[in-house]
This record gives sequence, structure tokens and C-alpha cells, in this order.
Amino acid sequence: MERILMVEDDPKDVELTLTALDEYNLANEVVVTRDGEEALNYLYCRGNFTGRSNGNPAVLLLDLKLPKVDGLEVLKQIKSDEQMRMIPVVVLTSSHEERDMVASYKLGVNAYVVKPVDFHEFVNAIRQLGMFWAIINEPPPGSVKKRV
Amino acid sequence: MAWSKPHLGIARSAVLRYGLAVLSVSVAFGGALLIERFHLRNITLFLCAIAVVAWYGGTGAAVLALLLSCMGFAYFFVEPSHTLYISRSAIPYFILFVLFTSLVTRFSAVRRRVERELLQSRHELEASNKELEAFAYSVSHDLRAPVRHMVGFTELLQRSNASLLNDKSQRYVTVILESAKRMGNLIDDLLAFSKISRVEQQKTLVNLDQVVKEVLSEVRQETNGRDIVWRIEPLPVCYGDRSMLRLALVNLISNAVKFTRTRAQAEIEIGFTDQKHDQVVVFIRDNGVGFDMKYVNKLFGVFQRLHPPEEFEGTGIGLATVQRIVHRHGGRVWAEGLVDRGATFYFSLSKSQGD
Repeated sequence: MERILMVEDDPKDVELTLTALDEYNLANEVVVTRDGEEALNYLYCRGNFTGRSNGNPAVLLLDLKLPKVDGLEVLKQIKSDEQMRMIPVVVLTSSHEERDMVASYKLGVNAYVVKPVDFHEFVNAIRQLGMFWAIINEPPPGSVKKRV
Repeated sequence: MAWSKPHLGIARSAVLRYGLAVLSVSVAFGGALLIERFHLRNITLFLCAIAVVAWYGGTGAAVLALLLSCMGFAYFFVEPSHTLYISRSAIPYFILFVLFTSLVTRFSAVRRRVERELLQSRHELEASNKELEAFAYSVSHDLRAPVRHMVGFTELLQRSNASLLNDKSQRYVTVILESAKRMGNLIDDLLAFSKISRVEQQKTLVNLDQVVKEVLSEVRQETNGRDIVWRIEPLPVCYGDRSMLRLALVNLISNAVKFTRTRAQAEIEIGFTDQKHDQVVVFIRDNGVGFDMKYVNKLFGVFQRLHPPEEFEGTGIGLATVQRIVHRHGGRVWAEGLVDRGATFYFSLSKSQGD
């Protein structure tokens, strides 16, 4: 059962992120959704994910610029839902735009990470994120449990 | 964007405008009748009333005020009194009324046209600013991603197939990587540059001395092992946006550090001179490689560089950034230099809110 929900529309970014997480054997812990709507469907077990086993992800890696429902909207919906608001959300975005950052924090994001252009820095950032949120951090009740 | 109906200093409701005409003329009448008791005849009051109506009420109301004034004037003040009959001797008064009204109406119409044009160009400006902001926003989101992919996958190639690549291919891979990274830096610098004009300034009194100390502690971390003699005069308090002034000083001081790199002992001097009208000119002088004064006009242009990249790295946006910041503060920036004999950069700032 996957513990990291990644919302990312760019397949190359998905590949790079999975490559980075692979080094800690975290890649198979990731479920990838390609837009905001799909991510919400996953969280609410509806649409293509109607039959998935229950449990919230231990962390949600969220891109901001997404087709259909964008990242800020997803964040808003999660943080205003009693069942979902405890899921840690990490915004993972391309841009340094201050207004995105301010908007995300106002909506209650748990971390905000700008994807570094430099690959080593990118890999390091992703690994540390994966390490911290999927291994070190104790997720809220209702999250999918660590595999032993 | 909310396009509020422009308010051009003219009453919008017709009742208000024509009411103003009646009211002004009545007041003028009252005044004129009062003055007449002292056997004075004064048409200035009427002219004032017409002027007020034309200015605030527009053309229609002005015509009404003119008619009312003429009729009233003919009835009360022109012999024979209490009739609307106009004797030949009184005609110049009416001509004066008409001329005066048309003059003020003309002026007021011109004023309103100018105001309307100004308002429209302000709206256009706001719209294009919004567009620029949207543009920068999508640049910052969409342009960085492909660069990151280029760097990422090239690194993956280098890592996974290093043994398969011969020296030549290795070099190609390195060039791709360097170029992609440079592209990334260019995008970041351009975004930072465009941000200077997009962001609202927050002007306060700024202790430049404090700012320079911060900048120096930042810059010094990168000058390990270099022999640099710093001569820093205590700088005054100026009026401006702190983070922008800091950015300008970071650019100027790191330039001084960069272009003295070839010197056995670098000398960098920071000081200021007081000018008239609360102005102050800050300068940063170095004994670095300098520049040819014939290229001084290119110095502050975007992407303009006077040195080949293998000699001194950089994107060519630093001084353009400095110039834009100083201009936004209403100041001036200029430079003096000699090839191989160092350069001095000056910028002017205001010490108080003043103008």
C-alpha cells in the first residue's frame, strides 16, 4: 500500500522524482496522479479509485500548476475537510513566486519546496522529503501504516 | 479588473447639474439685488455663477445658466426695468455673457478630455502591467521545468552510462549540462529583474551602513583566501526600499569583488558625498580590470557584458538591476573606469522622503 501520493502532470518530473526516491527504496511507495481532480478522487476513493484500500497517504507531494483542478484548489479542499486536513501536504513547485508561497501557507500547507534546477540538489531535496515524511515523521492517525 | 465609471469632476446626475445651474444663478441674483441697493450694478456675480456651472455642470447646464442669467439680467437690471425688453445700449452685456460662457465651457471641455485620456492611459498601463505579471508568472513556472529536465536526464545519462561514453562524448555531455545550468541562471536572473518593476516598493528610512555590513558578511564568505583591502566609510541613512537597495549593493559590491579577482591585492572602497537638496551620492571603487569608457553606455543594459564568460562569469543582468532599482528611487547611476585601472560606480539617493 503506497504511502506517498504525488500529484504531478509532467511525466518527466514524475520520472526524475521516482528516480530520486528509488535510492531509498521509496519509489514503490508512491502513487502518482496526474491532475488535481484525480488526486481528489484518490483521496476520496471515488472514480478510478473506488475500490482502493482505505487509509490516507502519509504525505501528499503537490505540484501547483496542474490541469483541471490546480494545486492550490486541491490544498484548499483538503485543508477544509475534517477527514483530510491532517494529511501532511508538501507543495513541490517550479516557481519562486511569492504569491504562491503566501497563498499555500495561508491555506495551511505543511512544507513548501521549490524544485531546484540543479539535479544533485533536486535529488537531495526529494530524498530528504521522502525520508522525512515517509520514514522519520509520525503520520497522523488514519494514515497508511509503514510496511515492516 | 474593476472598470469603475470614471469620475471626471462633473456631477453625473442631470438633476444635480441643472439644479446647480438654477441654484448658482439664484445666488448670483440674490447677491446682485443686494448690491443694487447700494446703486451698484455688477455682472461679475453672474459671470462667476456661469463659470461655476460650466466647470462642474457641463455644457448643457452652462447654457441653462446663461439663459437664466440673461433673462434675469434683462428683467431686473437693464432699463427699462421689470420688462424683458433689451435696449441697444445693453447688448454688449449679453455679448459678454455669451462669450464668457463659451470660453469657460471650452476650457472645461478640454480639461475633461485631458482627464479622460489620462484615465484611459492609466487603465491601459494597469492592463499591460497585469499582462507582464502574468507573463513573468508563467515564465517562472513553465520555463524552469524543461531546464530542470535537461539537467536531470543529462546527469542520469552521465551517471548510468559513464563507461560507455568516450572523452569526446563526455565533453558534449558536460557542455549540455553547463548550458542548461546557465539557462536556468538566466531565467532566474531575468525573473528577479522583472520583479523589481512589478513589486510595490516599501520605502522607509534605511540605514545604508547596516545594509553594507550585511552585504559584506555575505560577500566575504566567497572571498576566502583572497587579499582584499576594504576601505569603508560610515554611510548615511537614506530613504528607500530596504530589500531593493540591498540588492543593488549586493550587485555592486560582488562586481567589485569579481573584477578584482586578477589582482594580487584587491582594494575596494565604499563611500559617499553629500549633495544639494538632501541628495547623497554613494560610490563603490575598485582597482580591478576596469573598462573602456567608450562602452560605458552598454554597461547598464540587460544581457550586456564587457568580458568573455570564461574570464568573468555572470549573466549580464546585475548592473541592469542596479540601474532599475536606482531609477525607481528617482536617482541616477553612472560609472567611471579605465582599462586595467579599476572602476567606480556611483548612484544617487535621497536622504529624506522629500519629493
